[in-house]
Amino acid sequence: MENTVEVKNVYKRYKLYKKKSERLLDLIVPHKEYGEDFFALQDVSFNVEQGSIIGLVGINGSGKSTLANIIAGVIPTTTGEVTIQGNVALIAVNAGLDNSLSGRENIELKLLMLGFSKKEITEMEEEIIEFAELEKFIDQPVKTYSSGMKSRLGFSISVRVNPDILIIDEALSVGDKAFAEKSLEKMMEFKAKGKTMFFVSHSISQMKKFCEQILWLEFGVVKEYGKASEVLKNYESFLKEYQAMTKTQKKKYRTDALNRQSMKTEKML
Amino acid sequence: MKSAIKILKEQMQFFYLVRRLSVYELRSLTSGNYLGAAWEIINPAIQILIYWFVFGFGIRQKEPIGDIPYFQWMFAGILVWFFINSSVMKASKSIYSKIRMLSKMNFPMSVIPNYVIFAQFYPHLILIGLAMLILQFLGFPISIYYLQLPLYIVALLVFLFSLSLITSTLTTIAKDVQMFLQSVMRMLFYLSPIIWPPTLLPESFQIWVKLNPFYYIVEGYRYSLLGQGWYFLENPLYTLYFIVITALTLMVGSYLHVKFRSQFIDFL
Repeated sequence: MENTVEVKNVYKRYKLYKKKSERLLDLIVPHKEYGEDFFALQDVSFNVEQGSIIGLVGINGSGKSTLANIIAGVIPTTTGEVTIQGNVALIAVNAGLDNSLSGRENIELKLLMLGFSKKEITEMEEEIIEFAELEKFIDQPVKTYSSGMKSRLGFSISVRVNPDILIIDEALSVGDKAFAEKSLEKMMEFKAKGKTMFFVSHSISQMKKFCEQILWLEFGVVKEYGKASEVLKNYESFLKEYQAMTKTQKKKYRTDALNRQSMKTEKML
Repeated sequence: MKSAIKILKEQMQFFYLVRRLSVYELRSLTSGNYLGAAWEIINPAIQILIYWFVFGFGIRQKEPIGDIPYFQWMFAGILVWFFINSSVMKASKSIYSKIRMLSKMNFPMSVIPNYVIFAQFYPHLILIGLAMLILQFLGFPISIYYLQLPLYIVALLVFLFSLSLITSTLTTIAKDVQMFLQSVMRMLFYLSPIIWPPTLLPESFQIWVKLNPFYYIVEGYRYSLLGQGWYFLENPLYTLYFIVITALTLMVGSYLHVKFRSQFIDFL
């Protein structure tokens, strides 16, 4: 099968500044570095075949969301390459809605920005409203929505625009069970159509049910990438181990990892 | 130069989107108020009245400027300032405040400041229409000089967009720029021929005040609406100056914008 997503030696560096003045100096003074480097991702490489469903797991701060955003093209890489065949939709909890506009206006706005014509938008609008189960709330401003309503709206829009690659970043953990079931069904439909999907979640049971492959990130590095059942087993035993650690052990584990993340590696050009 | 052409091409290609998006922007801005978009007219009206009261009625004791009564003189100049001020301020924070929502979209980021400016442009057009109507009854009827008005409108739009490329980039990198701009705009308001005529200044000073490109626009509007003559023809050197400044602003702005746009999201 063909690869739809190819991630090659991706690094993402953020700068940590102790003082505001450092940040300013770093911007202005050429050829001199200020502040401390922090690598949210280090040398991440993997290929994804078309139609596979990848779960991204890892403890907090491991770089899952950063990676999801990089694949979606929202944030740029520092070095490395991401090649993608087809268009990507990212669904996150804060789905990028305009709070002072109504749900309907948000749908129109989003579709407009994605390049759909007026006619297409009116066609899609009703379907989206129906799927999002927003009924009479659709003409109320989004700022009055609950977080579940917002993510339902975001999810329904993203699903309707029919992307080739779908990235779901924790977005389903806010909806109720019925909607989660409905969304899973929709994703099964996508799976049958041979679309590629990424799943970021802390729910291992959801992952088990749905993902074929798991990418396990730990502090910005790929720890394991392979068949879901195997990786999830290892991840679960790691979690048990990690939870069993004493406070000081945990702290040491974290600081060691954080130190690794602030070092420049040879491979990075 | 290269980036400037690139940016201009993007604007032309996505002009349809600029128009549509600006409508939603305007709706979003006014949705919280009961009177909605009417505030775009009410606000200027209140300000015009207070400036007329303080400067025209109070300080100048109703004395006309040249042979133009103060109210008409101020009105023809200030109405463009409302548009200038709101678009400069809103466009400068446009990228910073919208990038989260728009980061993954199928259009270039240079469209963002443009549609924010356009959202301010509709109320401005209505205000111009109202001004023309009011001036009919205040002794300044429609004249052949109205024909030059579109020229200044287009010139202003191009200049505002060019400027917004610079300010929106800088604001995204350092939010302090927004504060700084606020002070600069307040200063320029008093340094433009809006509520008092700079002709009161000594001759040697006047040339310095004219370096402000908004001076040109305000006077252009005034000449058109009050039928004072063909401003751009009577001041060919000043017109040339305005064009050069706009071109320079566009080039610097495009360069900065293109250089930083892929990293905007990292600056948040």
